[in-house]
Amino acid sequence: MRLPQGRLRKSRVVTDPREPLAEVLDRTVTGYAVFEAQDSLLLDADGRGVVTFEDGVPVVAYHTGTDRGGPPALADLAVPGPYHVSVFELDAADLDPVHEVEALRVPPGMPAERLAGDPALADSTRRAAPGERPTVPGADGEGDHSAVEAFLEDEDKIAAIREQARQEARQRAAEWGLNDT
Amino acid sequence: MVEVFAVASGKGGTGKTTSTVALGMALAERYDVTVVDADTGMANLLFHAGLSDAETTLHDVLAESAAVEAATYDRFGMTVVPCGTSLDGFRDADPARLREVVATLAADTDVILLDSPPALDSRAAVLPVVMADRAVVVLQPTIPAISDGLKVQEYATSYGTDVAGILFNKVREDGIERVAEKTERYFDGPTLGAVPESERAREARRAGRPLLAHAPGCDAAAAYRRAADSLTVRDGASGDVADRFRSAVIPEPP
Repeated sequence: MRLPQGRLRKSRVVTDPREPLAEVLDRTVTGYAVFEAQDSLLLDADGRGVVTFEDGVPVVAYHTGTDRGGPPALADLAVPGPYHVSVFELDAADLDPVHEVEALRVPPGMPAERLAGDPALADSTRRAAPGERPTVPGADGEGDHSAVEAFLEDEDKIAAIREQARQEARQRAAEWGLNDT
Repeated sequence: MVEVFAVASGKGGTGKTTSTVALGMALAERYDVTVVDADTGMANLLFHAGLSDAETTLHDVLAESAAVEAATYDRFGMTVVPCGTSLDGFRDADPARLREVVATLAADTDVILLDSPPALDSRAAVLPVVMADRAVVVLQPTIPAISDGLKVQEYATSYGTDVAGILFNKVREDGIERVAEKTERYFDGPTLGAVPESERAREARRAGRPLLAHAPGCDAAAAYRRAADSLTVRDGASGDVADRFRSAVIPEPP
């Protein structure tokens, strides 16, 4: 997926992808956000996830590391850790060629619902979506679980998440004196 | 007999308290059930069980200013131990005393459900999961909820607590079966159920009543009953559990 360089509007580290999604919606940004995992210990942390927006509503998703687009790209960019997120503005006309690629498209509410786990933000996003886009859960894949299923099919990533949690639990048990319980 | 379950999720907003109370009511048809609000920093069980005006709560017990018996209430066929919501109460409460509270309750009930904090970032937050025999992990079908649920499982098993099963809650769309099947592969326990998102659950919360009392015929209530039916309670000797809790090494408060 090729996009013209946009005008950098914001760049920062966030712990939760909900924050940039909410902010982009709030400010009705047309452009794209680049998500980069900060924790290189996790597999699939290579590469960046890109989500484009039109008036704050997500349109397409793509991951440079896996070269996948659409809902699976949301799974690829999901990591349990901080992200570096950069938001760029771009004219709608410059986004059109990418937005026309059906395989890259994601339903408007899916990033908020499945990636950020925020149904209320997903509902707000669907309400803000233009009429021609599906806004009712279940219509045109809007309510489907494909991003979650793609995440669950990534056995290496899940093994890495579990291993990281195990290490954290052991380390904290030692710190908290829970070893003997 | 007694078995202690932590009802846990790594993330807030999954409907954990609604689930705790619903599972408790459903299990109360077969067992003597006690539900405890072990989320001492963000208590809300009292609002779900019509106990918002309870004078004595777990906070008082954890502050050693009341006996456990004074903070237990018979509601909806269960024994309910609510926690208070005041900051002062939280400050004075020593979460490590929860061990003694559970040990006392274990002597006289079949099932204890601990409504656990939706976090793993402090000793107090993980304590219910550490103390329980098994954990019920409440999930929503989202990537962060499942990731956090996996973390809960790893913490639980690291501390010798088994996973009784996973419970999907607030399910809004069809197709949960495939998600459940794929999720189940990574969890040590089965999928106990998938509870649809429900306006009745929100109404019940506003009315200060458990969902199974407010709208027993609704789809969500039926799903909770099926989940409770699929939960086989193990036969632990009450005395053993009480002894185990009393002898558990609990860290000093920070």
